[in-house]
Amino acid sequence: MKVTIDLDKCIMAGECVYNHPWLFEFNDDNQASVKVAVLTTDEQQLGARQAREVCPSGAIRLADD
Amino acid sequence: MGALANEIDPREFDSPGYQKDPFPLYKRLRDHHPLFRDRFHNRWMISRYEDVNAAFQDNESFDRALYRVDGPYEFGSSHVFGPNILEYGNSERHRWLRNIIAGQFVGQGLVSFIPFIEKIAGELLEECTGDGEVELVGRFSNQFPIRVISNILGLPRADEERFVGWYQALIAGLGFGGEHLARGIAARNEMWKYLEPIIQERLRDPGEDLLSKIAMAELDGKRMSMEEVKGFIALLLAAGGDTTDKAIANMWFHMLYTRPDQFEDVKKDPSLWENVFAEMMRYDAVVHVQSRYTTHEVEMHGRVIPERSLIILLLGSGNRDERVFANPDTFDIHRTDMHMGRENRSARYKDKLPGHLGFGVGQHFCMGYAMARQEAVIACARMMEMMKNPRPKFATHDGISSPNIDSGGFRSPQELWIEFDR
Repeated sequence: MKVTIDLDKCIMAGECVYNHPWLFEFNDDNQASVKVAVLTTDEQQLGARQAREVCPSGAIRLADD
Repeated sequence: MGALANEIDPREFDSPGYQKDPFPLYKRLRDHHPLFRDRFHNRWMISRYEDVNAAFQDNESFDRALYRVDGPYEFGSSHVFGPNILEYGNSERHRWLRNIIAGQFVGQGLVSFIPFIEKIAGELLEECTGDGEVELVGRFSNQFPIRVISNILGLPRADEERFVGWYQALIAGLGFGGEHLARGIAARNEMWKYLEPIIQERLRDPGEDLLSKIAMAELDGKRMSMEEVKGFIALLLAAGGDTTDKAIANMWFHMLYTRPDQFEDVKKDPSLWENVFAEMMRYDAVVHVQSRYTTHEVEMHGRVIPERSLIILLLGSGNRDERVFANPDTFDIHRTDMHMGRENRSARYKDKLPGHLGFGVGQHFCMGYAMARQEAVIACARMMEMMKNPRPKFATHDGISSPNIDSGGFRSPQELWIEFDR
């Protein structure tokens, strides 16, 4: 599973970063970014699905391999 | 004036004058004691915008709870809400509990509640706008958010009145203490007795409602305890109700008494209620204070705060910081030096403007931020539709106050009479 952030949609709410700091971060350009692009473990995939759910702008996309 | 003129006697924090109008003291703190050691109450106070914002974001140094949730302590037994997420500090358990419901209050979750919100606002206004005048606090704002949240939880509509009663007792217990606290805890226990069979029923036969989701949620294969579910519900009712209730009253107060000139702009363009909301949250937010505990020694403004010290983050003061906002003591819905749109937990915005601190920032940022704004704006816009030419019934008003700022005593007008044409 792959996770990406649509930066046009992203409003920098930070929900993904606060809820799953091992998967998401604010980078040096102050933009939300993905730390682990390819999610292999169940824990990572659950985290990414939760992040998509709490994202207020719907900017998080998940794609199956 | 001598140097002593800038000294602060910590007993001022207990004075009625401070509860009514804390802003002059906030300014003295910001200007002369940006880190104030209050020996009388054994706490440290942080009052500038940048410092409050930084402390909110620094989880590593500042924790919401003094004790670990997995430690050998009784949690919340004497708290009005019972054991609840607010007691869980910066733990994994907090993150998990928050994740269960955070998604319900933003994005698609929120959109799905809008018809509910519209309907309940319409029903309540229908009941209270027949006379050409209305006392907004008691007849509307006190009832509206609690009815919305009990609907979202999927509680029987026939029992709404009981929930309003329990909720009012809970809130009084939180704000006033003493006999109010005893009554608040009694109301909580009564409410818990009522909730228990409902929770058990939802566990057997879960629906799409929020109560089912909370009861069924699992972490590492384990669900919340019955006590935790009940504590969570109590917290949602109170936190989700009282703050929004007071936000609505405050927005109207500022339009009727603080800026009647800008009220004219809002009458022409109801979308400006969004700006009224943002500026109300900056100028005199419902909640002025959040507390933290240092997890290690923290250096700030040339001093060292010891580990495990109580830190008071005066967000009500940070919001009036002249270092960040021009004319901070002016209520202005057309402000161009603040982000007026929806708030972010990260305090980062694409327009690069600073946001208000009224919801906090970071790990413990208000979970209901989007819901609160949505409810308040919908309610205010509906009121404008149902009340033609709204105006204050009385020429003067006692203003906004709080029972006790330190205990999170929420700021609002006690009463607000509005006259209108029918």
